[in-house]
Amino acid sequence: MTTATSTKLPPSTHEFADIIHRLEAGGAMLPDTPENLMQIIGIYKAYAVPMDFYWRDLLYIAEEVFLEPFNFFKYFLPKEYLELHNHYAGDDADLRIWRGEATAHPELLAFMEKGELNQKIPRLFHHWLHDRVNMEFAEACMRAMYWHGRDMGWGKFDAYLDSDEYKANADVAIKAYFKGNPVMLGLYKLFPEMFLEQVRQLSYYSNLGLFWEVMAPVFFEMSDLYDEGKLTTVPEAMNFLVNGIFAIAGRPIYHHAHIRGEVYEIIPKSKGFTWLYEAALPYVEAVFYRTAPFRGTKSYNAQAKQVPDEQKDFHYGILYADVFPVGTAGIPPTLLMQDMLHFLPPYLVDYYRQYCRGEDDMLIQLGITFQRSMYCVTSAVIQALRTALLYPLDDPNPKHLMANRRFFESQLDRFKRPESRIREIQSQDYR
Amino acid sequence: MLSLLIGLPLIGAALIGFWPSKGSPTLFRNIALAVAVGILGWTVAIGTQFDLASPGMQFQEYLPWIPQLGLSYKLGIDGLSFPLLGLSALLNCIAIYGRGETVERPRLYYPMIFLVNAGITGAFAAQNLLLFVLFYELELIPLYLLIGIWGGQKRGYAAMKFLIYTALSGILILAAFLGIAWLTHSSSFDIGSISTEKLSLTTQLILLTILLIGFGIKIPLVPLHTWLPDAYVEASPAVAILLGGILAKLGAYGLIRFGLQLFPETWAVVGPGLAIIGVVSVMYGAFSAIAQKDIKRMVAYSSIGHMGYILVAAAAGTPLSLLGAVAQMVSHGLILAILFYIVGIIEQKVGTRELDVLNGLMNPHRGLPLTSALLILGGMASAGIPGLVGFIAEFMVFQGSFSVFPVQTLLCIIASGLTAVYFAILINRTCFGKLDNKLAYYPKVLAAERIPALVLAVTIFILGIQPGWLVRWSEPTTTAMVAKIIPANSAQIAQKLNNFTP
Repeated sequence: MTTATSTKLPPSTHEFADIIHRLEAGGAMLPDTPENLMQIIGIYKAYAVPMDFYWRDLLYIAEEVFLEPFNFFKYFLPKEYLELHNHYAGDDADLRIWRGEATAHPELLAFMEKGELNQKIPRLFHHWLHDRVNMEFAEACMRAMYWHGRDMGWGKFDAYLDSDEYKANADVAIKAYFKGNPVMLGLYKLFPEMFLEQVRQLSYYSNLGLFWEVMAPVFFEMSDLYDEGKLTTVPEAMNFLVNGIFAIAGRPIYHHAHIRGEVYEIIPKSKGFTWLYEAALPYVEAVFYRTAPFRGTKSYNAQAKQVPDEQKDFHYGILYADVFPVGTAGIPPTLLMQDMLHFLPPYLVDYYRQYCRGEDDMLIQLGITFQRSMYCVTSAVIQALRTALLYPLDDPNPKHLMANRRFFESQLDRFKRPESRIREIQSQDYR
Repeated sequence: MLSLLIGLPLIGAALIGFWPSKGSPTLFRNIALAVAVGILGWTVAIGTQFDLASPGMQFQEYLPWIPQLGLSYKLGIDGLSFPLLGLSALLNCIAIYGRGETVERPRLYYPMIFLVNAGITGAFAAQNLLLFVLFYELELIPLYLLIGIWGGQKRGYAAMKFLIYTALSGILILAAFLGIAWLTHSSSFDIGSISTEKLSLTTQLILLTILLIGFGIKIPLVPLHTWLPDAYVEASPAVAILLGGILAKLGAYGLIRFGLQLFPETWAVVGPGLAIIGVVSVMYGAFSAIAQKDIKRMVAYSSIGHMGYILVAAAAGTPLSLLGAVAQMVSHGLILAILFYIVGIIEQKVGTRELDVLNGLMNPHRGLPLTSALLILGGMASAGIPGLVGFIAEFMVFQGSFSVFPVQTLLCIIASGLTAVYFAILINRTCFGKLDNKLAYYPKVLAAERIPALVLAVTIFILGIQPGWLVRWSEPTTTAMVAKIIPANSAQIAQKLNNFTP
């Protein structure tokens, strides 16, 4: 990476000129300090463990639970899915990102067995005592992708869900699933859209599951590299993500349903949907930027006009979220923060103990750390887009550099809103 | 038994004041707490021996002290004073416990609190007018110092105002007592030996008016209340609890004990006027509280309003209303204590009392959730929400006074609605909303700091659902007191004949 650009172009006049200059120099949206690096890597690790559960369960629901009308046990992962090999870890990986095992992470298995209670009781009791992974959060992300996916319209994946081909594939699977169940088949006859819409949602389960199947090993590997001393700066961490994004960009996104031992290809791999364009970018847009207004922060009252009319104006993702109310009613990210709380690396716990209320408000401290780390991920996405669509940072042509700058400026325009936390994360006082 | 109750705090004061070694604040605080718990324990012991059926004085003690002056050391308690003694012992513990470790100059602080406690106990138990004045005046200097040394920014002004007002109150009371004794040619100042029956109505009215002004300053009644907001706001939370929780009761107690008991016939004559003054206080307190921007000031004005109920109830003079007045004194003491305590915690943790700055304290991780919850409970109790002790007291007051002063009672009920208004404002601005992310790095509330508020909250709640434990002490006494009042109209006669028994 080079800092040559700063001499070739006049300083930016953008509100976030400092951040733009940093991006132009190959940096991230958050400052490169050892403290920031320690925080973001630590939280990647804490995030990756529940994520290892999320992706497995999302795929399990998409493939096995499928249209089960009474899916009471959809969060009870069977053994096969815990042993399911991640395609990007282990010896038989398609592309080995993480050097660890391809089956479920040992910390996750330990948590599922004993939980916070630290007692071996049947899984059902752990579930009832809410001693579990908050899978509802993963489903909320999936629904955000689904709902905004209809609006964004720049992937082919969502358009495909409306095609006749998809409907035909889904029809076969629905009929196969309800074979011998005249009630459901009759319902399907009466209200075909009802089940079709459910299958579309299940396709998004699969989509998000496949997205996180990549991210979990990426985060595990980054944590390991940091522990080994091989990641020493925030730009290095970001570049690891950028390289990961490009390495994995072409991986297939598909939806297969397993019904009575047979595989029904609802979205076949051969359709050529790829990870970067059909999962990663829609995910970042839907979950990092948009999602839905928190019930505990905004009024959905139509006359109050607190919620935008246009979905593109939604700004409730983690990059904008107010983390201070985490733990109160009506703040969905609480679910994720609680999940991450169980898997914090010791150095992060020690770090939190020194600040604010120590262990008492760790949930919020880690939430703010998570926000920082997601700014790093978003920086990686912005840099990856710039690499894909525009010019290298050390391009000698000033016009090309100017194009890069306009791109960065347009990206940062989205953070001009007062809700955006980009100003806060520039300082360590925000914790 | 009662002498020990007065003696214990004096022993405590001497112990800490003359402790031989230098000692640490923690040591003094522990000694003080041990003594305060001892006082509370002794009060409970007296409570177990208390004859619930007797309307008269119990635990009497008599020592001729200076017979030439008519001053005797005569103590005794009845159903009117015992609940207040209990309240005082409890609040004393809480005042000493609450944030006591950090206090500066502990060797002066704790003795002063104990002197206040001894004075209050003595005043409630005194059965001699001069002895009462003696104890009443004993409050003066310790409280002046407590406000003036450990208070807020404008403490000098507030303490001086308090001193002057209270000194004036003492002089008026003394003047009235001397007048009573001399005009009735009484041989001593003992309460039992004084009878005002032979005095002319005019004389009685003058004496009663002087008493009214004297005790009205202490209660306080509008327009004699202006020392209160300053003194309450500038005092530290512990001192505000003592001031509002117990000292204010001394005024109301004095008014009932000496105004109503010594002038039962005249009481019926001044009753309507008193009820109006009470209603004005209630309304004034509520409207002023609505206008405040400082939560401590709000609570202070709420105190003026709630003391107004007591006057209305006492003026009505029915058995139920008088019982309600005693219940309201205890309930107001408990509620004001919890509110001041919590406001103190909020000020300490957040660093401000401004309504416009406070926000979102219900936040479970970064706010003060339990403190906020207790503030809501305290606010609801103060506003008279059923299930809490405030409702019991207010409802007895309303039920008891309505037959005598219907309009005034209705106005009081409206004012209790206004109480709900300003507490809703207070709670809304303080507990609800969202935290300011730039400021909200408040220190946590330690478990030990929560205990007093929790004890008070539990008491408020238990007395709210089991009000019998609150009123059983006073019933025979208040019924007997009312019997002496000459009813002003037939409605009252009917009630008197009914001989209220719940």
